[in-house]
Amino acid sequence: MLKSRNILITGATDGLGFELAKAYASRGHRVVATGRQLLTNDLDFFGSPNIAYIRADQSEPEAAARAIAQAMEKFEWGSIDLAILNAATGWTGHPADETPEQIDHQIAINLTAPVLIAKAIAPLLFAAQGQLAMIGSTAANGQAQFATYAATKAGLEGFVRSLREEWRNKTHVQIIHPGPTRTKMHAKAGLKTGMVRMFFMSTKRAVRAIQRSIRNRDGKRVLSRAYGWSSIFSSAKEGEL
Amino acid sequence: MKALVTGAANGLGRAMTDQLLDAGHEVWAVDRDTDALDALAIKSRGSCRVILADLANPSSVQRLMRDVKDVKFDLVILNAGISATGRFEEIPGAAYEKLIAINLTAPLVMASGLMRQDNMSSKSQMVFISSLSHAVGYPGASVYAATKDGLAIYAKSVRKPFKKRGVGVTAVFPGPIRTEHAERYSPKGSKANKRMLPEDMAKLVLKAAAKGKKELYAGKGAGAAKFFGKLAPNMMSKMMRKVIFDKLDSNTY
Repeated sequence: MLKSRNILITGATDGLGFELAKAYASRGHRVVATGRQLLTNDLDFFGSPNIAYIRADQSEPEAAARAIAQAMEKFEWGSIDLAILNAATGWTGHPADETPEQIDHQIAINLTAPVLIAKAIAPLLFAAQGQLAMIGSTAANGQAQFATYAATKAGLEGFVRSLREEWRNKTHVQIIHPGPTRTKMHAKAGLKTGMVRMFFMSTKRAVRAIQRSIRNRDGKRVLSRAYGWSSIFSSAKEGEL
Repeated sequence: MKALVTGAANGLGRAMTDQLLDAGHEVWAVDRDTDALDALAIKSRGSCRVILADLANPSSVQRLMRDVKDVKFDLVILNAGISATGRFEEIPGAAYEKLIAINLTAPLVMASGLMRQDNMSSKSQMVFISSLSHAVGYPGASVYAATKDGLAIYAKSVRKPFKKRGVGVTAVFPGPIRTEHAERYSPKGSKANKRMLPEDMAKLVLKAAAKGKKELYAGKGAGAAKFFGKLAPNMMSKMMRKVIFDKLDSNTY
């Protein structure tokens, strides 16, 4: 039996966050999952008694960070071993057509909220000498069709690069950049992927690859196809996350 | 030529505004510093239109966009920026929200708004002032670094789609400049003479914009920082920690 750890995962009602929450919970870890939905029954939704859900709408970054901090108190978590800040939203189209509201909404959810959440949980991460994993995107290198989304993900990368050095010996800070994955992200952002979707990484494989990168305590990891494939053979050993 | 400069009242923005005015151009100067704007208006005898705006406030940005609705700019320099330095976890959340609003949200909203409103002339240039931190990281100012990386990648992302509409995009990565801004956020006792004069930096930026350059790394040691930042990013972040974060004795925001 592995040691049970405290794990926080944001954006966990769907896609990578949902699968990550279930994967960690299935190994006996305690998970607090966040999302903006109102769930009537956590157990039915996640199918695991190890997952507790709290509502934290990151379009209001301050309120979301506060909700998470309050939940930590409520669940009497004195420490967090691992926080995966995964929640994100996107908009796709010509950059001249992005309205102020769309720009503001993406920056709030993808950048401001993770920054404020990281700040809110810092004492708990320090208490465990824990690990903070940000989910970025390969779009962080620049993308004409989702310029603001790319900017927010690049922002996370800049944040992580600087904070990793600042928090050395207190909490390991890393960023993991998934490429296109077969989640609902693209459809939600208004992008039709069509046949190309076949070539995307499966959610299952991306979830394995993310867990592997977290175990390896990478600084920055791009989820390449090769890394995805080779992650099939990687699993948690005794005492690992 | 018609130019718009944000953060025009002080520092690098002021130096660029002065040089544009001296060269006989019309400048729309945006800032929140009323006194400095007044001085600019009086000194320029009307060739400088001043616009009072607080870029941290979305409705102020909207008003600014309405004010310039009918102008065709040949040059837009999105320069305004603030910082927050110290221990990440000790600085209030509100300071980070303001920092992100001014350094990232406002320039993105303005860039896309100016394109949508057809504010850019058919052969114009849009300049984004990022930071040399894009190359080296910035322990002690991780959220500032985040906004400047975001700005750099936004500029890269929109370069092609904007170019198709006749608007060139320049991203500038200035090293330390000898301004009040730098003075305020730097460790005490750091040497001011190691920083470039704002007038010199302004000249380089305006030249790069006139030539339609995609990128400009400028300032003392900028070339080396870019090179080593690409080659050994972790080593550079460690070095930045030593020269900046370890010496910061207070939080400034």
